[in-house]
Amino acid sequence: MASAARLGNKVDAGLLAGCVVLSLVAIVLRPEDREPIAAALRRTVVAPLVGLQQGAERWRSAWVTSAQRQLVVDSLALRAVKAQALVAENDQLRKTMGLGSRLSSGFVPAEALHSTAPGEEIVTTLTLTAGSTAGIKKYSPVVAPDGLVGSIQSADPTMSLAILYTHPDFRASAMSADGSTFGIVYPHRARAGGSEAYMLELRGVPTRAELKPGSAIYTSGLGGTFPRGITIGTIISEIKTSEVWTRTYLVRPAVTPSRITTVLVLTPERVTQGIGNVWGAGVNADSATRRIAAAGDSIAKEAALLEARARQATLDSLRRATIDSVKRSLGLPVVPMTAADSAAQRAVPTAGAQTAPVVRDTAAVRRPAATPVPRRDSIRPDTTRLRQ
Amino acid sequence: MNWTGAARTILVCAILIVLHYTLRPLLAWRASVDFLIVALLLGSVRIRPGAAAVYGFLLGLVSDSLAVSGFGAAALAMAIVGFSASWLKAVFFADNLALNAFFLFLAKWLFDLIFLVVSHRSGGAELAMQIFVWSPLSAAATAVAGVIALSLLKPLMEARTT
Repeated sequence: MASAARLGNKVDAGLLAGCVVLSLVAIVLRPEDREPIAAALRRTVVAPLVGLQQGAERWRSAWVTSAQRQLVVDSLALRAVKAQALVAENDQLRKTMGLGSRLSSGFVPAEALHSTAPGEEIVTTLTLTAGSTAGIKKYSPVVAPDGLVGSIQSADPTMSLAILYTHPDFRASAMSADGSTFGIVYPHRARAGGSEAYMLELRGVPTRAELKPGSAIYTSGLGGTFPRGITIGTIISEIKTSEVWTRTYLVRPAVTPSRITTVLVLTPERVTQGIGNVWGAGVNADSATRRIAAAGDSIAKEAALLEARARQATLDSLRRATIDSVKRSLGLPVVPMTAADSAAQRAVPTAGAQTAPVVRDTAAVRRPAATPVPRRDSIRPDTTRLRQ
Repeated sequence: MNWTGAARTILVCAILIVLHYTLRPLLAWRASVDFLIVALLLGSVRIRPGAAAVYGFLLGLVSDSLAVSGFGAAALAMAIVGFSASWLKAVFFADNLALNAFFLFLAKWLFDLIFLVVSHRSGGAELAMQIFVWSPLSAAATAVAGVIALSLLKPLMEARTT
């Protein structure tokens, strides 16, 4: 038994020694000698394992590639989102620059930082990165390229706080595009978070004045806070209220608060001066039309006045000529023609063709032409010229 | 060991060898799990030391055939490890997972030690880093994976206790 065990141990030791020797031989083999052995193993016994390893590594590679592609896709999607935001911001900045160039002076540009207070579901205030040192004062109007944003609530040296048109304290005197209808704009009190959360109300519109949906609403300039002509929004519909003598309209604001990134704050001097045709409002076109019409009216009035004067001068001239004829027939001395008569003579053709032509008896009305008489120009009374 | 037990052992070893060439490339860990060592120890404790040495030598040749360099190094290391495992089978047969894990750890570390020294793949600080950092980590991963594999394959190995 013991000899069998010793034999077994010797066999084991011999096998181990043989394996060790074979391994050492394999180690010391030259590469060109060991490679055929390894290749033979790879092509026969190890071939299924090689296939398994290849499949596993292919799976691994596919998984890694998929993960990398997913990362690339995610990165591209993120860049696309950022690009859209950049495009929107670029557009906003271009509009702001355009507004600044149209205003040319009297404004302070500021970056708008959105700050929603706890419990607020809609944005009602903005923090602006410019303050009183830049010229911003309390109640200064805050505008964007699309129209009115709000007004300054408090101005610190380097920053300021503005209330938006959604703030409960916001009010603005407004008018229609033709300037015929006036009212006060209030924030619309809708359900929080609803689709009408950012709407406005135009209250106090007289019942006789009816505004159609789509009509533009501008600041009227009354009250002195906002200059005339800033776009507020457009009429959506009329709101039924208990008021009998006034109407209330729902107004869609021209400015969307969430898209505000940069604003302009108008200085008090600019508010006093007015903003002119910055927003291209119909208000200004309408006022220009009114000015043209008024100018036409004044021209017509002046023409009518001149015609009346000419008619009066003609009558005076006829009366004087008649008197002169009578005096000549009676042998009395004749008074020379006065400057008023000359003026009447010149005014008749100027007044237009509607005046009846005056027929004068030149033979009967003969003036002494020996001495030049200074004649006064009736059109320009400050000038006199010698009669030729 | 009867024929049924031998067949079950061969099946479990085959599963572990397949895992070595499928799961390990999928995981691709820096400190990789060596399922060949687990298969070697699992088979070696059931056969005589000489046969375990031959078994280790053959497994090592399979491993060497897929390696770029160091042909024979894995065969030498696995032959020694297999012989040692079979010689220490009394310890390894203890139904203690922690003890099995410890011997798996030792076997893997010993294998790496012999393989790295014989194959001359690296030297100096890199060899020290490999032996004292990456090899222990790989041995630990192998020990954990071996214990898990032995626990999962226990139903197939029940014949050993009956």
